[in-house]
Amino acid sequence: MLHVEGLARQYGPTPVFAGVSLTLARGEFVALLGESGVGKSTLLNCIAGLDRPDAGRIVVAGREVATLSDDDGARLRREHLGFVFQAFHVLPHLTVAENVGLPLRLLGQPDDRRVQAVLDAVGLAGLDARWPAQLSGGQLQRVAIARAVVHRPGLILADEPTGNLDPATAERVLSVLQAQAHEAGAACLLVTHSAAAAARADRVLRLTPTGVRPVDRHDA
Amino acid sequence: MNLSLLWPLIRREWRHHPWRHAVALLAVALGVALAWSVHLINRSALSEFSAAVRAANGEPDLALRAAAGGGFDDAVFDRVAADPTVEHASPVLELDTYAQAPGGGRVALRVIGVDALRVAALAPALLPRAADGEDRLAFLDPEAAFPNAAARARLGLADGGTIALQSGPAWQRLRVAGTVAAGGLPLVVLDLAGAQQHFGALGRLTRIDLRLAPGTDTAQLLARLALPPGVVAVAADEATQRVSQLSRAYRVNLTVLALVALFVGAFLVFSVVALSVAQRTPGFALLGVLGMTAAERRRLVLQEGALIGVAGSALGLLLGAGMAAGALRLLAGDLGGGYFPGITPRLQWDAAGLAGFALLGTASALVGGWWPARQAAAIAPAQALKGLGSIDGSAPPAWPGLALLAAGTAAAFAPPIAGLPLAAYAAVAALLFGGVALVPAVVHALLHAWPPPRGALALLAVQRARFARRTATAAVAGVVASLALSVALTVMVASFRDGVSRWLDSVLPADLYARSAGSSAAGEQAWLPPGFAAQAAGVDGVQRVSASRTRSLPLAPGRPNVVLIAREIADPAAALPLLEAPRPRSTLRDGEVAVWVSEAMVSLYGAAPGTTITLPLGEVRATARVLGVWRDYARQFGTVAIADGDYRRLTGDERLNDLALWLAPGTDLAAVQAALRALLPDPAMLEFASSRELREISLRIFDRSFAVTYYLQAVAIVIGLVGIAASLSAQVLARRKEFGLLAHLGLTRRQVVAVVAGEGAAWVAAGTVVGLLLGLAVAMVLVFVVNPQSFHWTMELVLPAGRLAALCAAVLAAGTLTAAFSARRASGGAAVQSVKEDW
Repeated sequence: MLHVEGLARQYGPTPVFAGVSLTLARGEFVALLGESGVGKSTLLNCIAGLDRPDAGRIVVAGREVATLSDDDGARLRREHLGFVFQAFHVLPHLTVAENVGLPLRLLGQPDDRRVQAVLDAVGLAGLDARWPAQLSGGQLQRVAIARAVVHRPGLILADEPTGNLDPATAERVLSVLQAQAHEAGAACLLVTHSAAAAARADRVLRLTPTGVRPVDRHDA
Repeated sequence: MNLSLLWPLIRREWRHHPWRHAVALLAVALGVALAWSVHLINRSALSEFSAAVRAANGEPDLALRAAAGGGFDDAVFDRVAADPTVEHASPVLELDTYAQAPGGGRVALRVIGVDALRVAALAPALLPRAADGEDRLAFLDPEAAFPNAAARARLGLADGGTIALQSGPAWQRLRVAGTVAAGGLPLVVLDLAGAQQHFGALGRLTRIDLRLAPGTDTAQLLARLALPPGVVAVAADEATQRVSQLSRAYRVNLTVLALVALFVGAFLVFSVVALSVAQRTPGFALLGVLGMTAAERRRLVLQEGALIGVAGSALGLLLGAGMAAGALRLLAGDLGGGYFPGITPRLQWDAAGLAGFALLGTASALVGGWWPARQAAAIAPAQALKGLGSIDGSAPPAWPGLALLAAGTAAAFAPPIAGLPLAAYAAVAALLFGGVALVPAVVHALLHAWPPPRGALALLAVQRARFARRTATAAVAGVVASLALSVALTVMVASFRDGVSRWLDSVLPADLYARSAGSSAAGEQAWLPPGFAAQAAGVDGVQRVSASRTRSLPLAPGRPNVVLIAREIADPAAALPLLEAPRPRSTLRDGEVAVWVSEAMVSLYGAAPGTTITLPLGEVRATARVLGVWRDYARQFGTVAIADGDYRRLTGDERLNDLALWLAPGTDLAAVQAALRALLPDPAMLEFASSRELREISLRIFDRSFAVTYYLQAVAIVIGLVGIAASLSAQVLARRKEFGLLAHLGLTRRQVVAVVAGEGAAWVAAGTVVGLLLGLAVAMVLVFVVNPQSFHWTMELVLPAGRLAALCAAVLAAGTLTAAFSARRASGGAAVQSVKEDW
């Protein structure tokens, strides 16, 4: 689903990372560790086509990201990618159901039953008409996860999704993501600083300035 | 938390956005400058004009004046002067005429005949001062003239030279024997007997100025004097009051228009401060978490508004004083109304006015900052830090807006207050504020009725609008206010101009017009001989001649004189632009004459059709029945038209002032003018204008008079557009993270721009519709209430569809483009980064 090869990125004269190569297959739940500032978010942006790498190639769902126009890149994200952010980024002016259903509407396939099913799956049944301001942090993150998976993307990019959550809620969120990978067959790349989160992954990788190397998940 | 602690926060905000705050400051400055300069110019012009009037009239305790042109018998003077309570009495014969200019042509001036031995105590500025080499008693010489400095300058006079003054169709040549100190307009002082002799007024006076013994009861004095019917007593300041009255409505209208600029400036302050608050919401939230209370946040924003107001007012006062000084130098104090001709006033300072306008400017900025200050206070820190905002689904109350609209409508039907349309101005303000206050309720109702759309882009736009109803309301309110003002001014000016244009068509039916004098007052001396019309009819190319006599009648003390026009009126409906069919002459009773009056006569003197008025025609007081009302855009204070036969029968006055001439096709206008001029002793005694020239001159004067409204329209539109830009930018900036998220979800930048431009277009369109309707309502108040109450004439409502459509389209296009431009900027790479900031 995702193939990254020899990726390098630098901001001006300062290199962020170089020689990054990794592959994710469908159904894989992979954790990516790394020091602060090593470029984890930049790597995710490059994979999503929102940032341009200086070297290397990225293939998502069989398409070379670097060759895509802005519109094609947007279409790729719409169809094949799901995002989960540390700060939730739930639109405050849409209800829970409208937030979750937004990717389907963007694809021109509004589907209220699918939205309800995903809300059930993340434990938010009955909250569909609520406004984001009426939810707790854990609930907001589950809305964000529901939105990331509702359109059945092939690749989920989750950046510190449990960073703002208490351990119990974090555990629940990770379960949802893991289920999405193992049961729905999506590839899920989880950026995290949490050893507990990494321990649930199928594989653990560590991003360094010189590349990505595998880590034993029990050593994470 | 005191201001010294808040000041660094304000300073930092201003340093970050210097241009934005500079624009708001400039808007307040322009509003204050305009209002202050209009105030200064009017005050200076009025003061100078009043000073000139006081110089010519002196400063008596009481003046006895002729109730009509032609004056009164000078025998009255002996009786008055003999009264024991009269300490000083000064007889005066005052008249308007022309002096012969050195290079041909004429200069209008006032002739004042005085008794030099008596005038010094009451009007020292009129005391003749003999020139070197003249006899010490030259002021008693009936052939000696004493022009003031203005007359000397205009006529190039020197001591010992000759001044020629027009008396009827002849020049009276007098020796320049000295001067007088009176300033202001050109005037010449003669010995009273000489003036009576040269101007056919033997034994006549127009005024007696009195200085009374302290404690004199004026009523008792007047009872003792038992003045004859042609003489009235007027208060000392009557002449000054009359000058003030003459221009009052125009001055008040100008001031109100200038204040409108300040009102629009307040909207810009509102937009800028609202934008600033929207941008700083996370900062305010953080300050809230750190311990800044809601009241302190409100105070901080209000202090920003106050600073804009104080700085803008200070700049505006400086700018206004400069504008006033420039206008006084270039326009001589005449802002287009033509009320203060021939004077060059000096700038008159006014400390109370200065303080008042400074306060007004600051208050307008505070009003503009009030709503954003409330918004800053209402921020829920925790929610705002999470970027979630707060939900407000409750319907905003509609009653304040509706109540203001109702009050405005009611005030529009109220009568004038102290002769001014104050209630109508209040109506305009109430309608504007009411319309703007109703916007939130209208927006809420519109959104409430709109079901959530299925499409993603439409859903985002509608739900965002619902969520950000208050911000959208701010943008729409700016559009409503500025467009309503522009529409109202456009419709009012178009209606008036169209009315004047059509009126000119009806009052200028002849090919050529000739006149002996430029004013009805000067027409008393500068007239054409009785047989002149018949002689004119005999000139080659002249097919028909219609002659008229114009004179000035004082109908009420303290009010400007009314103009009486005696002319051929065989068929009133054809001769005059009547508002409705005239009453037949058969309704006249014995001893009455028929008159047709202008609209001003009805509103100022109650001279409605069917009523009677008394015309003081010299010794005769004629009872005239009003048979019809006609439209007169040339004379604001009343005109009475009477058939020339009736006028001659009542007065025996055969003199003429104006001629309308119908020419044979192909006639050479210049040849006719030369032939007519040749019939008089001096060709300068006749002024000509073709109907086309008169029409052009009239419309040019009209456009000059309304130049300030064009400027205000431009200011309103520019400020409205800046307001839209600021409000929409505020929304768009607040949505940067939303755009970043939408980019992650797969929206292209073009789609984001389309969503925002669509939202902007929808809001601006709603604002345009409300602004247009509100503007039309305000225009109706201006056309049907303010104009008749200010200037005593009516007009029909004209809707310049093309111009209004262009105005609305410009606002709509500018609003949509602004939204699209803002969205384009906000949805770029920075938007993606704004999401990344939280990763």
